[in-house]
Amino acid sequence: MSSEPSIFFSDVNERQGSFLRRTFVVGGLTAIGVTALTVRLAQLQVVQAEEYATLASQNQFNFRLVPPPRGRILDRNGVVIAGNRPSFRVLVVRDETKDLDQTLDLLGRLLPDTVDRRRSIIRDVNAAPRFAPVPVKTDLTWEEFARVNLYANELPGVMADMNEARYYPFGGSFAHVVGYVAKPSDRDVQAYRDRNEEVPQILYNPGFRIGRTGVEKALDEDLRGVEGGNRVEVDARGRVVAEDVGGSRPAVPGKEIVLTLDADVQNRALEVFGEEAGGAVVMDVRTGDILCMVSAPSFDPNLFVNGIPSSMYRPLADYERRPLLDKAIYGTFAPGSTFKPVTGLAALKRGANPERRIVCNGGYYLGRRFACHATHGSQNMREAIKNSCNVYFMTLGVEMGPDAIAEAAREMGFGQEFDIGIDGQREGLVPDREWRRRNPVRGDPMWYPGETPSYSIGQGALTVNALQLATYTARLANGRKAVLPRLIKSIDGVEQGGDRAFADLPYDPAHLQVLREGMEMVTDVGGTGFRNSQLGLGAVRMAGKTGTAQSRNYGSGSRSGAGRPWAQKDHNLFIAYAPIDNPRYAVSVIVQHGGLGGGTAGAPRAREIMKVVLLKDDEIRQRLEREGFAETPEDPGAHESDSLALNAAPAQAAAPAAEPAGPRPYLPASPQ
Amino acid sequence: MTASALTRPGERDRLSTKLSELDWRLIALLSVVAMTGTAMLYSIAGGQWQPWAIDHLLRFGAMLLVMIGLAMVHPKWFFRAAYPLYGLVVVMVLMIEFTPLGYEPAGAGAKNWLNLGFIRIQPAEFVKLGLVLALARWYHDHTAQEARWSWKLIFPVAMIGVPFLLVAKQPDLGSAMIIGLTGAAVMFVAGLSWKVIAAGGVAALVTIPPFVMFGMHEYQRNRVLTFLSPESDPSGTGYNIIQSKIALGSGGLLGRGYGLGSQSQLEFLPERETDFIFSTVAEEFGFVGSFALLACYIAIVLIALRIASLAHSHFARISAAGMTAFFAIFVLINGAMVMGLAPVVGVPMPLLSYGGSSMMTIMIGFGLVLSTRVHRYAELPKGYGLV
Repeated sequence: MSSEPSIFFSDVNERQGSFLRRTFVVGGLTAIGVTALTVRLAQLQVVQAEEYATLASQNQFNFRLVPPPRGRILDRNGVVIAGNRPSFRVLVVRDETKDLDQTLDLLGRLLPDTVDRRRSIIRDVNAAPRFAPVPVKTDLTWEEFARVNLYANELPGVMADMNEARYYPFGGSFAHVVGYVAKPSDRDVQAYRDRNEEVPQILYNPGFRIGRTGVEKALDEDLRGVEGGNRVEVDARGRVVAEDVGGSRPAVPGKEIVLTLDADVQNRALEVFGEEAGGAVVMDVRTGDILCMVSAPSFDPNLFVNGIPSSMYRPLADYERRPLLDKAIYGTFAPGSTFKPVTGLAALKRGANPERRIVCNGGYYLGRRFACHATHGSQNMREAIKNSCNVYFMTLGVEMGPDAIAEAAREMGFGQEFDIGIDGQREGLVPDREWRRRNPVRGDPMWYPGETPSYSIGQGALTVNALQLATYTARLANGRKAVLPRLIKSIDGVEQGGDRAFADLPYDPAHLQVLREGMEMVTDVGGTGFRNSQLGLGAVRMAGKTGTAQSRNYGSGSRSGAGRPWAQKDHNLFIAYAPIDNPRYAVSVIVQHGGLGGGTAGAPRAREIMKVVLLKDDEIRQRLEREGFAETPEDPGAHESDSLALNAAPAQAAAPAAEPAGPRPYLPASPQ
Repeated sequence: MTASALTRPGERDRLSTKLSELDWRLIALLSVVAMTGTAMLYSIAGGQWQPWAIDHLLRFGAMLLVMIGLAMVHPKWFFRAAYPLYGLVVVMVLMIEFTPLGYEPAGAGAKNWLNLGFIRIQPAEFVKLGLVLALARWYHDHTAQEARWSWKLIFPVAMIGVPFLLVAKQPDLGSAMIIGLTGAAVMFVAGLSWKVIAAGGVAALVTIPPFVMFGMHEYQRNRVLTFLSPESDPSGTGYNIIQSKIALGSGGLLGRGYGLGSQSQLEFLPERETDFIFSTVAEEFGFVGSFALLACYIAIVLIALRIASLAHSHFARISAAGMTAFFAIFVLINGAMVMGLAPVVGVPMPLLSYGGSSMMTIMIGFGLVLSTRVHRYAELPKGYGLV
């Protein structure tokens, strides 16, 4: 057991020599290896340093999109029609919760209604990235918001914050024309892909909304604004570590849109429709500005902003009066007798004498008997309009043929879509011989004279919408210019089409005067619309034309709508303009299945709407103050048999219809 | 006082003499590396001693004492313990495989831990120690001719092969590879014929590709294929290599500053406290810092090899060189791995990476090396003390 040197000389030296050589090799190999590593290091850290520095900063920094506030939509007077309101919401971050189930249990105690939606919440949370906040409940009340914040420390991964939500303060009044926004769907994403455009990342932001219908859809790009970005430092799991204020850019709010609509008029129009279905349009006869474009019944667009539950959507979609359908521009109807001035105009253009007298003995005969609603006897054109005589206009129509009527109809605004900045118009149909050739009846492309009498009085294949009716009335009332409707007044302060020059109407102003005189007689003593079209504004009076459009073939039965189901009643129309002596505004009202006689359902509504329009006009108000409200002697007790008060829903009946101060903020209840 | 062949009898056995014979350069370099590791662990924890830096420092301190203690032990005790120790570690590896004591940490993918109740250990680490000692013992008893090429080489090959296959079966491919390479290095320094080495190299080149394709587990194959083309799967298996290269490259010449490396601080770098800690050094201290660290490593290896070459006994020579080769293999493989030159195999950077087993093995190995230095004149007769 000695540690003293004991030397073996035989084999030892050979082993030692070999070992020393091999050790030298091992050292050399290690040195070569480390040199190789050094070269590699130099390659990465010196030669490619910049490239990798870029990659590192891409790792380190992220842009968090900030949704821009959506542009507001205002009426002509600056009243907010579509705005943004603060909305409190609760978000859950899966990565920060210890146990999602437990967290939701606790949250359920604070917000009981999350318990019912638990399954869908879990699905949403699991579908999102682990670190992304997922909204669990939006539109919290202040109490709920405060409660969640109070317990925030005990709920890791749960946070409550505030964002902006789209809000329509007037509810249903503007539901069709302004439309609504909704969460972007897969189809919106697909639409970008189909156009080969890059899908904006903002579409995936939970707070972002896209315009679905009406102005919101048509001007979506303008309203959207530009999203901001928060440059944030993130870790490998995507959690925000710090914010880089210098590298952030603020969101640019969307552009402000001003419409030509007037909120008071619009609200009153929806109000007077009550439970009836239909559309109404009011237009400035000089500028074409649309002051009112309403469709009834309506719905609350606020329901769609956060996604409408199907339990609420189904009744809206299934209701026979079609709340979701825009009856002002999409719904088309036969104009009925409101069309008679067009026939008259066509005849005058072809040299007919307005003083020519035609005898009505209760019917017009062309192969068969076309009934008139009364026996009017001998009349000239003005009287025929006053009485709404079928025989007179059938006679003119058959003499001219359908093409002459169609030409006048188109010139007055029918059979076309107007560029008012939103989608969803239907142009209706103005039939003529050419149309018949393209749409033969059982293979027969011939227009038979027997079709013309119905056409002359606004029936048959002819269909129009309320916007066209209003445009036509405005042109009649204007007397010179073919005014065009305008809905978008300005975008971000830039006036849209304010300097438009209208073409001249291809009619002798004297001819138009004849028709206006006829329409004045309609609302005067003895006219078809007399009783229900008295404004009660003294010398400021309204002229109009009634219309009833058959919605079915009567056969040999009674025309009376009384006792019939709603869907079998006639459509009831009324067009009007005022004031008579200096026309300023035109209105068209279509009451779907409103019943027989244009004066009964359409006229009182047109009157109420017109009254608000006139009272909101400064010039008219000054004139009224000057001249007083003294009623003309011819209309004693004009309001005694107010059919609106009789027909209207109890809610409307409670509000005196004749009250001049009609406009007031009004939120219609959503249809149940 | 220098202990030479001319010192008085008994002089060398005195503790003070032995302590003065320690190679303090080596100890200083090891300390520098371990302190760098501590500093990096402190940095990536966001300037906190917890959870890694303090452990690392304390372990190193404790293992430093163990190392110096082992340096005081006469090589004859290692010589005697060599075969029993080897037997023990092989039994431990067998116990993992064939008794319920073996256990697999969650997510590790390999059953490579042994739970002895009072302690959990990774026997694969100790296999390397036992193997080096046992091989050194075998070569000590055999001639240069036998070491060069003879049928007796079956014994060292079997000594390497048994633990290699057992560990590979766990399957801990990284450790198995280290075992194989360490064994091969020992056979090399012991004087294996160059012809045999060349033949072995060719055989390895021929057999490895089929083994990768058919003999590996799915995740192992993925690692290898990912290494060949990391960009093919940037978020999956290629993530580690890509992020490590970004960390290295973004460090540049002078680094991003201590505690300022975004890759490591924000956890883009995976396993930043263990296998990829070298990337953290490179990111925060740049080319200059990482080169200095590599210089420390090569200095350690060269000093240790020099120590091995001075030993009088063949056992001490071989064991010291084997331990050094083992250390060098770790450094080279880990370095190549983090730089994207080798597949990700789970080999830590010695003394820099966090981890107790690895540090223990390395420090025991250097205890052996230092013992060789202190007792460089010690002679061990052939066949001395079989047990």
